[in-house]
Amino acid sequence: MSSLIQVQDLGFEFEGKTLLSGIHLEVQRGESVVLIGPSGEGKSVLLKAMAGILEPTAGQVLVENKNLYTATFTERTQIMRRMGMLFQKNALFDSLSCGENIAFPLREAAQYTEAEIQAKVDFFLNEVGISHAKELFPDEISGGMQKRLGIARALALNPEVIFYDDPTAGLDPITSRKIIDVIVRLQKEKGSTLVAITNDMNRAYQLAGRIGMVVDGGLIVTGTEQETKAHRDPRVHQFITGDLNGPLTAVG
Amino acid sequence: MRKLIEIIDDIGGGLLFLRDVFRSGARGPWRYDIIAEQIWKVTQQSFSTTALAGFFVGAIMTVQFTMQIKEFGALGYLGGLATSGTIREVGPLLIAFMLSGKVGAFTSAELGTMRVTEQIDAIRCLGANPLREIIFPRFVGIVVSSFFLLAVGLVMSVAGGLLMGLVFSGINPEEYLRHIPTIVSFPSILSGLIKCLAFALVLSSICTYKGYTTTGGAKGVGRSVVNTAVATMVGIVIMDWLTSYLGETVLRMVMGS
Repeated sequence: MSSLIQVQDLGFEFEGKTLLSGIHLEVQRGESVVLIGPSGEGKSVLLKAMAGILEPTAGQVLVENKNLYTATFTERTQIMRRMGMLFQKNALFDSLSCGENIAFPLREAAQYTEAEIQAKVDFFLNEVGISHAKELFPDEISGGMQKRLGIARALALNPEVIFYDDPTAGLDPITSRKIIDVIVRLQKEKGSTLVAITNDMNRAYQLAGRIGMVVDGGLIVTGTEQETKAHRDPRVHQFITGDLNGPLTAVG
Repeated sequence: MRKLIEIIDDIGGGLLFLRDVFRSGARGPWRYDIIAEQIWKVTQQSFSTTALAGFFVGAIMTVQFTMQIKEFGALGYLGGLATSGTIREVGPLLIAFMLSGKVGAFTSAELGTMRVTEQIDAIRCLGANPLREIIFPRFVGIVVSSFFLLAVGLVMSVAGGLLMGLVFSGINPEEYLRHIPTIVSFPSILSGLIKCLAFALVLSSICTYKGYTTTGGAKGVGRSVVNTAVATMVGIVIMDWLTSYLGETVLRMVMGS
């Protein structure tokens, strides 16, 4: 059986500088993959390429063997509707209320009546624990609630694949833990595939079936929590232990 | 040389962007609710400014013409001459400049902020087309409302001229209006309206393109707003020349045939 997502020989160049090259990654249906790595190494770029919003300068991204970037407009729209994404800074529509943020993709899908849309909005707000914020605007709620709203919006179309770009960035440890609990619970309930970025190793272990480290323009797939902890690459060891001395000190 | 290449590159990028916007519009369905909302929003925000600008453009033209034609004892023609000059040339140009500062800057900043906060990426991620969702409705909304506002500005310029004719030049309203129908011909009005439409298209194209292609955070949004203001004004002046030139050529051909 082929993988749900295949990243093949992917590369990125920005203004003549190579950020990523020769990236290979296969994500199976229902799997959780977490990307870790030092800041500025291209984790978000890789995630956005996999999510279909940033075209790589080399290589390809296949979703069920269909190239995301050469597919026709209709094919690509259909693929994108099967994926959801939580952005690092949430990317909530600030001119829409929290409820309308969730209703947006449902209206776009054009297959629900208004009553069904409102029922789904209420359901997802309840799922992430912010039912009371339906009529509020994103700038009227806290950072943690904005994350929850972002998750609810990403899940609105019941996507098969969900991408999380640093879902706990800027949150306190307790809120972070709650957010990850919500993500893990919803993933288990819906059986969706998850690709996430985090630099918090505790959250990475909590989320991941498999961990990959983006460093020096490449991707090291380190495996499960135990395999990652026992990995022999000094960069992986230094990153997960947070040592100041080691090969990563020159990075950034 | 590099600057020239950048400008050509920018124009090319803008034309490709317009092609994609029209393509997304042609593909439909149109979001009439958002288009109507945009028309209402732009018109409501800029109506008073445009009306005021139009009023004073008419007033300025009347003062200038008064000083010129008073010596020839031809003040009876003041209304016709001032209105003709305003409607054909100066009115659309100055009011469009005013609109570019208000509508253009606002739209560019709004879209630029949506771009740098990844809201545009989020739209695409949710299986929607941002060009169809946010650009096309704004494009159509700005063209329609700007055309309407420019036309209102021109009507207000007649009112401004009329008042100034009475206060500054001592011409009563009947006298001021008497020669307008004889001097302000149908081609003059048509020329003014065509200019209004052309300026609206320039304004709408540039502000949506600059906003949509913003990069680089808050600084990038600021840069886009400034670039929109400069590019719109230059674009409007060039379009003014082009419509005048083509208008005269077409008129000559029609008159000659």
